[in-house]
Amino acid sequence: MNSNSSMKQGNPAEGDYRLDELFLAYRQACPDTEGSARFMPGIWAGIEARENSSNWFGRVAKALVTAAVAASVILGMMMSSANHSNDFFNATFVDALQADHVATLEPLHIERISTLESQ
Amino acid sequence: MLVEFELIQKAQQGDASAFTQIVQAYRRRILGTISRLIGRPEDVEDVSQEVFIRLYFSLGQLRTAEVFEPWLYRLTVNASYDYLRKGRRRLESRMADLSEQQVMMADAVAGTRAQDDEGEKRRVRDTVQELLSAVSEDDRILLTLKEVEGLSLKELEKIYHVNENALKVRLFRARQRVLKKMKEVTGASSPSAKEDETN
Repeated sequence: MNSNSSMKQGNPAEGDYRLDELFLAYRQACPDTEGSARFMPGIWAGIEARENSSNWFGRVAKALVTAAVAASVILGMMMSSANHSNDFFNATFVDALQADHVATLEPLHIERISTLESQ
Repeated sequence: MLVEFELIQKAQQGDASAFTQIVQAYRRRILGTISRLIGRPEDVEDVSQEVFIRLYFSLGQLRTAEVFEPWLYRLTVNASYDYLRKGRRRLESRMADLSEQQVMMADAVAGTRAQDDEGEKRRVRDTVQELLSAVSEDDRILLTLKEVEGLSLKELEKIYHVNENALKVRLFRARQRVLKKMKEVTGASSPSAKEDETN
């Protein structure tokens, strides 16, 4: 009770002493142990489990990278063959316009001009 | 050092028996340290196993013999820190449930000896755990290494890679917080304090 009252009064030396004493008691309350018989087997089991999981992730990652590379090669080849086979991509802008519109627009122009001349 | 560097080198090359010998040499020390860092005997073995598993996977990075022990301590500190951080909420609720009992123990430790030795040890552990809950997990581990494990500032410097003055400041502040908490606990537990409250 005396120690409590001195703590309450704020005696720093007393508090330090009591704390040191408590830490000492704590050390004795948590002694060094050897662990159980399954300590070492448990470590090896943990190592094996982690190696297996890292191997599994490694295999999945490798498979994903291979699939991604294969998909890019296939897409690249498809794009390349499509470009070569289609004339639309080789033509100039004017050629493309001609191919698309001129055949339908020209007769209309001619008809309208002749109609205007006759009037 | 408890093992020769040659043994570590053999373990680095994948020699399982060399690794087993390293574990056997350090298991007692690591189990004891973790027991005091986390204060939960039921979980000490799991956390210690985690330390040695981490050691196994990082052994390849070790270059010199001198750093082996500080480095093993560092792995121990990190594993304990992870454990404490995960179990924080659980621990706090347990502390709240047991606070009255712990509060009484603060007197018992300094004064009388309890009849039941194992029960007393458990109560000491609970009391210290409550006091250490006043500081962060980091400071709690640092304080335990210094005050309970008895590591020197030089040794702590090697583990934390922080200069001595910074460690002193952290230790001082952590200790002050623990003292303040201790004062609250002992003040609340003393019958005179309860009488004061009723009056």
